[in-house]
Amino acid sequence: MTLWLALTLMTAAAILVVLWPLSRSRVAHASGSDLAVYKDQIGEIARDRAAGLIGEAEAAAARVEISRRLLAAADRASADPAGTSVPWRRRLVAIAALFALPIGAGGLYFALGSPGLPDQPLAARLDSPVEQRSIEALVSQVERHLELNPQDGRGWEMIAPVYLRLGRFDDAVKARTSAVRLLGDSADREADLGEALAAAANGIVTVEAKTAFDRAIALDPNNLKGRYYAGLAAEQDGKPQDAAGRWRDMLAQAPAGAPWAELVRQSLARVEPTSVSEPSGPTPNEMAAAAELSPDQRSDMVRGMVERLAARLQRDGSDAEGWLRLVRAYVVLGQRDEAQSAAAAARRALAADPEKVRRIDALVKDLGLEG
Amino acid sequence: MTRRQRRLFLIGTGVGVLAIAAALVLTALRDSIVFFNSPTDLVQKRVEPGTRIRLGGLVKTGSVIRGGNLGVRFAVTDGNKEIAVAYTGALPDLFREGQGVVAEGALDGAGLFRADTILAKHDENYMPKEVADALKRQGHWKDGYGAAAAGSAR
Amino acid sequence: MIAELGHYALVLALGLALVQAAVPFWGARNRDPVLMAVAGPTAIAQFAFVAAAFLALAWCHVSSDFSVLTVFENSHSAKPLIYKITGVWGNHEGSMLLWILMLALFGALVAGFGTNLPATLKSTALAVQAWIAAAFELFVLATSNPFARLAQPPLEGRDLNPILQDPGLAVHPPLLYLGYVGFSITFSFAAAALIEGRIDAAWARWVRPWALTAWIFLTLGIAMGSYWAYYTLGWGGWWFWDPVENASVLPWLAGTALLHSAVVMEKRDALKVWTILLAVLTFSLSLVGTFLVRSGVLTSVHTFANDPARGVFILAILVMFIGGSFALFAWRAPLLKQGGLFAPISREGALILNNLFLTTACATVFVGTLYPLALEALTGEKISVGAPFFNATFVPLFIPLLVAMSFGPLLAWKRSDLYGVAQRLLGALAVAVIGIAATFAVENGGPVVAPFGVGLALFVMTGALTDLMERTGLFRSSFGTVVRRAGGLPRSAWGTMIAHFGVGLTVLGIVGETQWGAERIASMRPGESVSIRHYDLTFDGVIPRPGPNYREFVGKFTVRRGGEVIGIMQPSRRVYPVRAMTTTQSALMTRGMSQLYLSLGDPDPDGRTVVRLYHKPLVLLIWLGAAVMVLGGAMSLSDRRLRVGAPRPARARAAAQPAE
Repeated sequence: MTLWLALTLMTAAAILVVLWPLSRSRVAHASGSDLAVYKDQIGEIARDRAAGLIGEAEAAAARVEISRRLLAAADRASADPAGTSVPWRRRLVAIAALFALPIGAGGLYFALGSPGLPDQPLAARLDSPVEQRSIEALVSQVERHLELNPQDGRGWEMIAPVYLRLGRFDDAVKARTSAVRLLGDSADREADLGEALAAAANGIVTVEAKTAFDRAIALDPNNLKGRYYAGLAAEQDGKPQDAAGRWRDMLAQAPAGAPWAELVRQSLARVEPTSVSEPSGPTPNEMAAAAELSPDQRSDMVRGMVERLAARLQRDGSDAEGWLRLVRAYVVLGQRDEAQSAAAAARRALAADPEKVRRIDALVKDLGLEG
Repeated sequence: MTRRQRRLFLIGTGVGVLAIAAALVLTALRDSIVFFNSPTDLVQKRVEPGTRIRLGGLVKTGSVIRGGNLGVRFAVTDGNKEIAVAYTGALPDLFREGQGVVAEGALDGAGLFRADTILAKHDENYMPKEVADALKRQGHWKDGYGAAAAGSAR
Repeated sequence: MIAELGHYALVLALGLALVQAAVPFWGARNRDPVLMAVAGPTAIAQFAFVAAAFLALAWCHVSSDFSVLTVFENSHSAKPLIYKITGVWGNHEGSMLLWILMLALFGALVAGFGTNLPATLKSTALAVQAWIAAAFELFVLATSNPFARLAQPPLEGRDLNPILQDPGLAVHPPLLYLGYVGFSITFSFAAAALIEGRIDAAWARWVRPWALTAWIFLTLGIAMGSYWAYYTLGWGGWWFWDPVENASVLPWLAGTALLHSAVVMEKRDALKVWTILLAVLTFSLSLVGTFLVRSGVLTSVHTFANDPARGVFILAILVMFIGGSFALFAWRAPLLKQGGLFAPISREGALILNNLFLTTACATVFVGTLYPLALEALTGEKISVGAPFFNATFVPLFIPLLVAMSFGPLLAWKRSDLYGVAQRLLGALAVAVIGIAATFAVENGGPVVAPFGVGLALFVMTGALTDLMERTGLFRSSFGTVVRRAGGLPRSAWGTMIAHFGVGLTVLGIVGETQWGAERIASMRPGESVSIRHYDLTFDGVIPRPGPNYREFVGKFTVRRGGEVIGIMQPSRRVYPVRAMTTTQSALMTRGMSQLYLSLGDPDPDGRTVVRLYHKPLVLLIWLGAAVMVLGGAMSLSDRRLRVGAPRPARARAAAQPAE
């Protein structure tokens, strides 16, 4: 409401500015003329002469020259009398100002402006009660604090899980790294760092992440997160027995009703569908059944990871570990044909290195992909 | 002096000064302009050693080697070809690996570009226009750079 | 609401500009005093509305209202208050709004203070000014709207380019724009005179105060920009012949020429066509500069954003105004009557020589700035035209100009006696020769150019003093006479003398800095020392220091001369996390007119810090000279003659009718 009132007042002021001079029938003659300038120039010659800056002859010549200009100007002034105002012109301008100005300005403003948007000064937004503020607002406040106090390790530790939940994995890694650096390492911090690193790599437990988890386990052999991810790393490296062993140990030590036990059990089921596995390895059908058990996000995550891996290997095929992981991942996803063609591509890409080709062949045999 | 003579004199002086200026401009243009080249241009055109040029591209990641006594070596790449550059002195604030750079100097006999001036971008939004164009030509333009070169334009 | 009110104020300003462009123009053609009287109030109101829009934008910046797009893109809540305010014009949209503010300001000033102008000239000139204003207001609203809003405002802005987070931004652009845009008024006057078909000696006097005002601010703006670049870029350079710098120096050269040729026009009614042409040219060069900087044709720190639509729009404005004014010029100029006669050796002749050299120098800078663009457009070849080109063309043209500068003011009008003037300059010549000899002796094998440069500067300065001595009769008359005559000298004569003396100071500074400057780049560990000239600097170490929106690493250096500690220098590097940028804050130590200049480079991986150290002899004279030139301009502006013809009834009327 205030906005509309203000806009109306501004328009009225603008119109008044145009109407006001039109309303005065007689204009005060506040205009100068060239006559005054030339008269002053003649006076100046007299002053220069008196000060001795110019000679008498020069002064006389200059006087004549300027007098000539003065006369010409006077002639022009008398030949060109001041005009008079014609009422219809005034009326036309007044009408134009009354209508064209508000319509034109209003039209342009409605085309360009956003009258519905209130001001949003930052102070007012930050003063709103905490419950009403978005998570972004809170994050930005913590970020502001950390920007000015980058040495505040607790702050980094506090914001890291938020980043993780918001999907800002790189920021999470930065925050976790800073926390470890500033607060010193502990098993939990190292494991959290590893978790952030793995999340940033689309769920792949990279070498860096693995190192972090290893450090966590070294600091505290019972660190749950570290142990779980160590198992995951083993699985991704194509060592399901190792992974299964680690997870089985965890379950064996799990207190009754531990909330994490279910996740570990699911993971274990994935690598080892039946507790008594056949020597030839899990059959494709069983693998598919295991995959069905895992939650949807889990398989989405795996799929994303697989695509990235495949794309990378397409560009640079020299990474044997990568190929092993890819073939295994396809099998996990139940894409047997993909797994076979990936194995074939791996053999081509690694043809220069018989040792690596042999490892691929061994895996293919393990997974029963021949034929 | 008559009005005609006076006018001739004025015009004569004017033309004289303009002629001198034109001569100065032409000599200066011949001697002091510097051509801009990308590493690919440099390889294709076979620029004579000793000719002053500007070389623009990205600082190749992993190529910067700092020697003693403020010496530094790095490679400038446009994604297609690369040229090794040697420079002695303080590097500009925003000289970074993988970022745009313009080096001014000349090739020596061995194909090493000896730079005496290194220009880097003014801020993270700024990619030297020449570098951006050269990268585009080589097809190594990434959209990320596009957004950066366009600055905050929207 | 504030942002929207600002937006609407800008729209209304455009509406009023259109009224101001049409009504007074129509009135002047028909000699209708009432319609002409509309010009004044609309010009002032237009300024008021643009100012309101500007203040609204400033408020959005200060209150960090990120729902305004430009604020989000160029501000940050942690930025200190002064940079929130200066950040208003630290971006494309805001700087164009500042441009328009200046344009409207000059219109309002003419409306308010141009009481000595004939009504038709004043209203036509204000109408032309409003055409320019309307074109640029339309440009801003259509392509660079500073009030564009975001419905879902982010919580933090992207921060201002750290290089611009400096007090220099508070003064440099406003001053430069006052000068740049100030020449729009002389353009409007020239166009009005051409439209009216009446161009005479009086016109030159009426235009003079406005040209002087613009020139003063442009000089200040350029000098400030130069000093800012000097201390902020960390390389110790004070002039780079950067295309954007050139864009500001082009109108300066043309404007300086205009100031001088207008003197001839005022005194002798001669050079009228040329003076009008210069008035048109000066503002055209300002427009070209605006186009180059704002269209993104050139990339530099001054270019905030590139957008082809903006370039095309500005180009259209450029073509319309430059093309239109030159067409008008071609149509009307032949009607002008020839003015007074003069011999080549005369004050007029000297001023023509001045104009010749200034405009030729202007042309060479123009060529050097635009040649790379033209070449790239035509052949696709990319070149850079740098300092060597400009030094090779500009300097040879300026040397004869400087020599002639001492002669000019001593020559009589119409016809003069060069020999006689030369005799009077013998003193100045003697000082210059002694200066050359003394410099040679002291320098003892330094650069050969330096003594002659010093001689030239001394000749310029003593030449200016000779002029003063001649006019006051110093050493010839009694003390009382001298004082009386000095008091009786017109302020404009003092202005000439002071401004010319300032030029000499600047030349001396340039010679000192370029010929005797020393540079040292070293990589140092704490405890190590480096020496330059007579100074030894010991590196004491680097300490971190937090700042409001940056982190700072301050290096501490103890400066000794002859073993005695004379001070501490603390250059620093600032890291701005939001833009991931580093800036260099150099440390300056002033010794007389010379400076020690120290800046920090990147730290080496092995713990060494790269240090750039410069000794800059007489460098402060460069800017001191510019300040003296500005003082001369201000002196000249205060000359009472510039207000001749202004009716002075205002006070009398107020006294007679106190009740009103």
